[in-house]
Amino acid sequence: MGMLNRAVRNISRRKTRALLVIIALGFALSIMISIPAGVLANQKTANTVSSSLSNVINQTGATINQTLTQIDCSLASSNSGFGFTPPSGGSSGFTPPSGGSSGFTPPSGGSSGFTPGQFGGGTVRGQFGGGAFGGGQASPMNESLYNDINTTISGIASVEPILQASEGNNVTRNLDFNGYTRTITTLDVTYEIEGVPLTADLVDNYPILPTNITAGSNLQAGDSGDVLLSENNSAYFGVGVGDSVSILGQSFTVVGIYSPSSVSETQTLYMSLSDAQAVTNNTGYITSFVVFAQNSGDVSSVASAISALHPELTVTTAQDRESTLSTEESGYTTALASANASDSKTYSTAIEEIVVVVLATSLIVLFVMLYTVKERTKEIGTLKAIGFSNSTVMGQFMLEGILLSVIAGVVGIAIGSIAAPTISSLLLPSVSGTTRFGGLAVASLTPELVLLGFGVAILLGTLGSLYPAWRAAKIRPAEAMRYE
Amino acid sequence: MSKTMQQSDKTVPQSGKPVLQLENLSKTYTLGKRDVLALSNLNLTVNAGEFVAIMGPSGSGKTTLLNVIGCIDKPTKGKVLLDGINASELPENQLYKIRRDKMGFVFQTFNLLPYLNARENVELPMEGRGKSKKEQTQKAKALLAMVGLSGREEHRPQRLSAGEQQRVAIARALANNPAIILADEPTGNLDTQNKQGIIKLLANLNVTQGTTIIMVTHDGEAAHHTERMLLLRDGKIVKEKQGSHAMKKNHTCPSCGAPIKLSDDKCPSCQKPIYSNDEAF
Repeated sequence: MGMLNRAVRNISRRKTRALLVIIALGFALSIMISIPAGVLANQKTANTVSSSLSNVINQTGATINQTLTQIDCSLASSNSGFGFTPPSGGSSGFTPPSGGSSGFTPPSGGSSGFTPGQFGGGTVRGQFGGGAFGGGQASPMNESLYNDINTTISGIASVEPILQASEGNNVTRNLDFNGYTRTITTLDVTYEIEGVPLTADLVDNYPILPTNITAGSNLQAGDSGDVLLSENNSAYFGVGVGDSVSILGQSFTVVGIYSPSSVSETQTLYMSLSDAQAVTNNTGYITSFVVFAQNSGDVSSVASAISALHPELTVTTAQDRESTLSTEESGYTTALASANASDSKTYSTAIEEIVVVVLATSLIVLFVMLYTVKERTKEIGTLKAIGFSNSTVMGQFMLEGILLSVIAGVVGIAIGSIAAPTISSLLLPSVSGTTRFGGLAVASLTPELVLLGFGVAILLGTLGSLYPAWRAAKIRPAEAMRYE
Repeated sequence: MSKTMQQSDKTVPQSGKPVLQLENLSKTYTLGKRDVLALSNLNLTVNAGEFVAIMGPSGSGKTTLLNVIGCIDKPTKGKVLLDGINASELPENQLYKIRRDKMGFVFQTFNLLPYLNARENVELPMEGRGKSKKEQTQKAKALLAMVGLSGREEHRPQRLSAGEQQRVAIARALANNPAIILADEPTGNLDTQNKQGIIKLLANLNVTQGTTIIMVTHDGEAAHHTERMLLLRDGKIVKEKQGSHAMKKNHTCPSCGAPIKLSDDKCPSCQKPIYSNDEAF
């Protein structure tokens, strides 16, 4: 008849009470282990959010720096024919005005809906790059147009002619604008071609190509017949590095795959300008060009010189973009600060709640055990009268308290393993910015937390029953004679 | 001191030697601002093998005396010599061993642990004495058989009658072969029939096992069946008288003086019951 056996029998003797106590303690302990689980999850979420925000901020900053000397030039949009202003930030899918620049002809026998320049416009890499989200439409223009710019305007370091073209399927739909119905054809883009001149000067010194290569290598100066795919392109074509891919009927070798730094780039594949011109049947034509000033101080003078020389061009400078980018960047910085703040708020809340739960748990054990000791005064007196030492009596009650807590610990871990996400989301503040920058991590119990739960149960059982057990040890055996 | 001390399993001290000596024992309680003298300069010697009854009105100091003898309470003055050991000078971490090894307590309300069966209750005092589980069980069963409870070893207290419960308590008191059984009103909660049974059992143990028994009781009849009756008043022993059990132990009929046997209930010559209903004092 060991001490443990007696402890078990004593607990099972008062079944309802034991059950209630175990459930109460179990809930307390489940909260105690769910909170750290939630803290870990929140931390993970905040880390994801803050690292993706940091990335965005860095990219934005890099874009600002990279494009500081960059001046984008394209033919002015001719939206007047539509009678309305296109939505700001891009007007994907509007058919270019008929009778655009001379010489543009769709490729004969090309795939459906191929229209070069449809999504031209902005040629800024990164956040505000060309493609589907570019700034307005651009019309194809003769390649020779920029020749005089380079020769007559001083302060120009280099000029990058670009041909952008989108491949996709034409979708015709009716749009209603203030009562006027207009049938327009939009392009459901499957991929975009960006042809850039692969000269040593441009490739080495200017941000004309994506930088985040995830497989293979980047395009090199002088490459021909090679193509750099985005991850989406790679999936769309079902090809990898070294494979050949057919683009508009012509075979190209995939030299590398890059991870787009912005959504505008996700469908863009890069090739040399001459390849792009050839494959889209646009030899001699480009959709835009980028002028790189020799230094950032020259940008505005160069830009106004270009505008003076070619009034038909839309000229956008880095300064124009920088303010937009800076606004974006400060927005991201605020979001990052708030993500970090919610992380630290999680901490302080978690600590407060754990203190409350620890106190509550110890008090439950304390009062239950005190009540038990009082209720069993006569029994304790008897045990001492028949020769139980103070330490044995104390040990007996400690063991009972600890056993109760350990059973509750098992219950708590069981509850926690099911309800940890619910409990932690109820009790902890949520991390902000999760919708835009990374998913919400779900609280789950780790083996460490399960061990922690047991440890805490034993610790609180010990703490809570220490005083009651001491009280039991101090009961005088004479009580056995008198206590009824 | 005692071989008996070391070989406590053989315990029962030799008949006739003093097993309990109380010398100039005084006990003062402080109740509020008043000092109450519960025991006053009390002297008493109990020899091994005696069956003693302590009687007296409420507040006479009976329970205090029993507590002091049982090492549950400490005297203010004087000595308690148990089996030659001065228990009044021992600290609590020694006293529990005296209670466990030298004393057997029997309570008015039996005080069995309700969640243990009869055998387990009897095994309790043997815990921590280095006996194997098997030895404990054997001893517990033997003791339960001795008090007439063979076959009821696995019953929990609530399934036993009051008399049976007190028998279990007596078996438990005997578990470590104590020098003295201290019984506090052992018949106080029993009906007449069970009362007689318990007194007979104690008397029998006294005769057959040589167990020293000190019993506190209100019950004159029960006291009369002991060997030596002490009357306590105001913390002093004021009267002492022989009980019928003394006569029986001397093989003499307490009524007519004719020779009797220990097993006799009635005197073979005068036919009177040996344990009479006489008022003790």
